[in-house]
Amino acid sequence: MSLVRIPTPLRPYTEGKKEVEASGPTVIAVLEDLAGRYPSLRPHLFNGEGRLRPYVNVFVNDLDIRGLEGEATALDATDRLMIVPSIAGGSGPESLRPVDHAALRTNQAVIIGLLVAAFVADAPLLAAIVAALMLWGSVRGRPAFVGIYQLLRRTGRIRPDTLPDNPEPHRFAQLLGGLVLSVGSLAFALGAPDAGWALTAVVAALAGINLFAGVCVGCMSYYWMARFHVPGFSKSPPPGTIPGRRPTG
Amino acid sequence: MTILLPAVHAREIELHGESAYPEEGAGLLLGSIEDGGLRRVHRTLPLPNRWEDEARARRYRIDPIDLLEAEETAEQDGLTILGIYHSHPDHPAHPSAFDLERALPFYTYLITEVRSAAAVESRAWRLAEDRGSFEEEGLTVVADQKEHR
Repeated sequence: MSLVRIPTPLRPYTEGKKEVEASGPTVIAVLEDLAGRYPSLRPHLFNGEGRLRPYVNVFVNDLDIRGLEGEATALDATDRLMIVPSIAGGSGPESLRPVDHAALRTNQAVIIGLLVAAFVADAPLLAAIVAALMLWGSVRGRPAFVGIYQLLRRTGRIRPDTLPDNPEPHRFAQLLGGLVLSVGSLAFALGAPDAGWALTAVVAALAGINLFAGVCVGCMSYYWMARFHVPGFSKSPPPGTIPGRRPTG
Repeated sequence: MTILLPAVHAREIELHGESAYPEEGAGLLLGSIEDGGLRRVHRTLPLPNRWEDEARARRYRIDPIDLLEAEETAEQDGLTILGIYHSHPDHPAHPSAFDLERALPFYTYLITEVRSAAAVESRAWRLAEDRGSFEEEGLTVVADQKEHR
């Protein structure tokens, strides 16, 4: 019989006992025996596949079994076991992904250029095409004018500016812009060009704020929705970054 | 299911989260369990974040040796480790899927949301008996009082 010390949070499952007895030739055998004696303890020691949960640390006579032979460490009856949890957690398994901000900025510049050109040439159709490309880009999860960026990169005029970031808010921002621009195109179609140009100006202005001031209003809205637990909006800004601002890298 | 947290300790926990920012800060809640299961925090014990790599902005880990020492100290003082507090930098005071996977029963998990190095709110959670989710625990910040045990 080995004596096993139970940590406070697991004592409710061992009738409140701080130390209990269990037997077996190895550490894992003793833990299995223990789980057999106290069935309600089992799910807290072993996961669904029967493996020890990651927080379960076992010490044999004050030595961590990871420095011995792990779960297979042999025991004799006088050995004393301790189960000591290592406590871990954190704000989520999400991890940041590389996002090329140069591609985003090129996209914004092209959008602004085309929308201004549409206004100057009084060509609502051009604005409608930009709207369609922005929506299509959002569906595909890439900037609408990424092709132009790739062309510029090949000529060496532009260098990538890759930062650890969340791609989703940028995708959402483009979707938002595409939707506003689509409503503008609808306004043109319904014979309200003033409303059409006003909405076009809003999209161009927001792209400008993003391009020149580094503030992504669409991303900001994304993070606010995540904060209020709106389904589908789960990402948090990179640590140390104000929502919607460029990550510090 | 309620935990009483004296204001002085609530402030200590916030300060710890703020000073650890942009990493996660963590520590233990020591206290007593009164009749009816009411929990009362008597002391906080900040502990180093032992997560091994660069991900300490998203993770914390309390070393088993630190925990064992804390458990022995608490027992000598007639206290119990009621739970763990940790901060979520730029992330809501909600337990994550990772928190759930690693959670122990019984413990109160007090999570403090810290935005741009300023504590925003703290909420308390406990693992449901079926391990499938967290249940929110009432968190009441109470006026400070003389230490009693």
